[in-house]
Amino acid sequence: MLNILVLGLGQCGNRILDAMNREAFGRGGAFAKYYTRQKFPASVKTIAINTAINDLKGLVDTRAKDRLHVPHLHGVGANRTLGKRVFEDNKEIIMSEIDKRGTFDLIFIITSAAGGSGSSFAPLLVRELKETYTNAPVICIAVLPFREEGSIFLQNAAFCLKDLVEEKPAGVLLVDNQYLKKYAGDIKSAYDKINTTTARRLLFLIEALNSEMLMVTDLGDLKTVMNGGIGIGTMGFYEASKDSTIKSAILGSLKPSGLLFPTNVYKEGARAMLIIKGDKKYLDLDLITKTIEELSTEVGQVFKGVLIQKGRPRVLSLFTLNSVPELEKLYATAAEAIRFEKERQNQSKSQLDSAFSHIEDLEPIY
Amino acid sequence: MNSCRILIVAALLMLLFPMTVAGVGTTNVTIGVNGYIVLNNDIYIELLDVGSDMGWSAQVHFYSYQDSVGTKKTLYIGDIPTSYTSGSGMTTKVTLDSVFSNGASFVIESSKKLYVTDRHAGEVETESVTVPKLTITRTIDPNAAEIGQTVKVTLTIKNTGNGTATDIMLDEGTIAKTYKDGCPSTIDDIAAGATKRIEYDLKIGDDAQSGTREMPASVLNYKGESSDSYSTQSRSSVLTIIAETVLLPEMTISIDPIDYVVTCGDNVPMVVTITNVGNATSEKVYVKGDLPLGVRLKGGELEPVYESVKPDKSEEYEVTLVANEEGKHVVEMKVMWADEEATAVFEFWAEKSGLEKYYIYIIAAIPILLILLWIIKRRREYSY
Repeated sequence: MLNILVLGLGQCGNRILDAMNREAFGRGGAFAKYYTRQKFPASVKTIAINTAINDLKGLVDTRAKDRLHVPHLHGVGANRTLGKRVFEDNKEIIMSEIDKRGTFDLIFIITSAAGGSGSSFAPLLVRELKETYTNAPVICIAVLPFREEGSIFLQNAAFCLKDLVEEKPAGVLLVDNQYLKKYAGDIKSAYDKINTTTARRLLFLIEALNSEMLMVTDLGDLKTVMNGGIGIGTMGFYEASKDSTIKSAILGSLKPSGLLFPTNVYKEGARAMLIIKGDKKYLDLDLITKTIEELSTEVGQVFKGVLIQKGRPRVLSLFTLNSVPELEKLYATAAEAIRFEKERQNQSKSQLDSAFSHIEDLEPIY
Repeated sequence: MNSCRILIVAALLMLLFPMTVAGVGTTNVTIGVNGYIVLNNDIYIELLDVGSDMGWSAQVHFYSYQDSVGTKKTLYIGDIPTSYTSGSGMTTKVTLDSVFSNGASFVIESSKKLYVTDRHAGEVETESVTVPKLTITRTIDPNAAEIGQTVKVTLTIKNTGNGTATDIMLDEGTIAKTYKDGCPSTIDDIAAGATKRIEYDLKIGDDAQSGTREMPASVLNYKGESSDSYSTQSRSSVLTIIAETVLLPEMTISIDPIDYVVTCGDNVPMVVTITNVGNATSEKVYVKGDLPLGVRLKGGELEPVYESVKPDKSEEYEVTLVANEEGKHVVEMKVMWADEEATAVFEFWAEKSGLEKYYIYIIAAIPILLILLWIIKRRREYSY
């Protein structure tokens, strides 16, 4: 059984982690935690880490002992510089808490790239984890902000992703809030939906990695996939309807509507992993093999895993990209926002200096 | 008798020769029954009768020429003078001086000089009459007695007359089912002024009816020296006859519980008291106890035997019961003596113990509590 560590950093990471814990209770609803235990598909340890204690208190399905408050007032205020310092000051505490969970075969770090604690902690934590758990690939799930959230968040997202990539984790899976806003009308519903969707896909992946499969894909394949392209990728998902074939389900998982980040898999994909679950009667292995072979010619190396499970076919696609045009757009927007912000700061400073200059030669008369 | 003759002759002379009263306005006259005198040709004084019932007396008819109806009056010896005014206005005051068997003598006074102008006084036997007068009183001592007892009856007979009572016959009243012993039917003569006391025993028969009984009056029939018959009687008496006291023992039994409501399994102390409320000692007194189902004896002797229990004495003992079943329990205790028995009943209510009573609830509450604790634990586990 795989030992997997899932770390949720900052408010966003905490909530996706909480959603994972909730999903692990099954279909019991809000009261499930009172009468049942979480059933992760593998040996999964979770820790929610945050500098804002109120965010930790807001979690519902994460055990108290799995919540680590890194004390710094009530958060770092989206200040990554401050966040990094806080991490450095408390990394022994954080690593000690992680160490209590034992050894791991795979580590997921879930964080918002735009926030304070998560975006500043994640790159540094990747470094620390890589040093401590040399054999455990560290995969970051980075959530990108709404573009209209403001220049600070865009700036944080840009620098966080940069820092992350520089720390060379096993891979970075992107979740784009802006892209997924389509899920619900209001922001809160959208957040809840995004969190739940992300949590379910991660659990889907974990279950597949830890199960005996009809067609096997494993942690090694995952590492290979994540090493593809620029090490940045995302996940797609499709649940077949009553009349759809397994082929359409596989291809559906690559459609933009099922992706967590906007990309053209056929055009930008480097490597992919497809995990198919479903009732045996739906799983035509020849058709699956043939479809994946066809995909390989377009997407690149495609690993497949087939898991017999009740229900209609569900397909999770996980892939890395050779290029990320959407990311370029993000960085361009961020850079523009940074420059605009800087100009405004300079302008404001000049105005302030000009204002102060009026009294430069004067002394208070009282 | 000679003195009588002298008086008769004197009376005749007085009739023949009207005489003047020695003192102005005062004269003594003797008149025979149904005789009369005329004073100053105006006032008639006629003696109608003499008597001795309420003391010696004489019934006199006063009338005059101009008052033919006149007035009749009874004069008594020792009374104040009786006044009579004739139709012509002459007033006399008459006092009864003495009474004879067939006549009486009077003292007559007036403001005028008195003459006996006419006389038809009859022959007066001036010798004094002797009449016996007996009174009888009766006492019963004691006047309340039980059946079978004898009381003493005392008759006190007194002769208040001036003659000896002879041929005295006693007719003593009787209460049914009582028996006289020593009660005479004849009594010796009793001289004037003498008192005779007669005592006899009155035994109350066994078959006499208890209650207050009236003893009729004692009646005396007797004669005087002149063989006149007289009769007198006492007042009736009352005798209370009390039913005979029977000496019997009588036992009562009482139970003094400490608690009327007890808990199943707990001790139920019970104090049994046996008392002889009779007037005789009871030999061999047995106590029997009847315990209901679900109640058992835990301590003490439930059915003791007492060799004897004296009157007004009690025997007390304590037993301890235990009720195993809930509900109302009735313990019946009997005391038996001779062929008699008395019963006492002790009721108490046994309730299940708190634990037993709420057993179901406790059993039901345990899982709820555990679930609650589990929920609290889980809540704490997931609260930060």
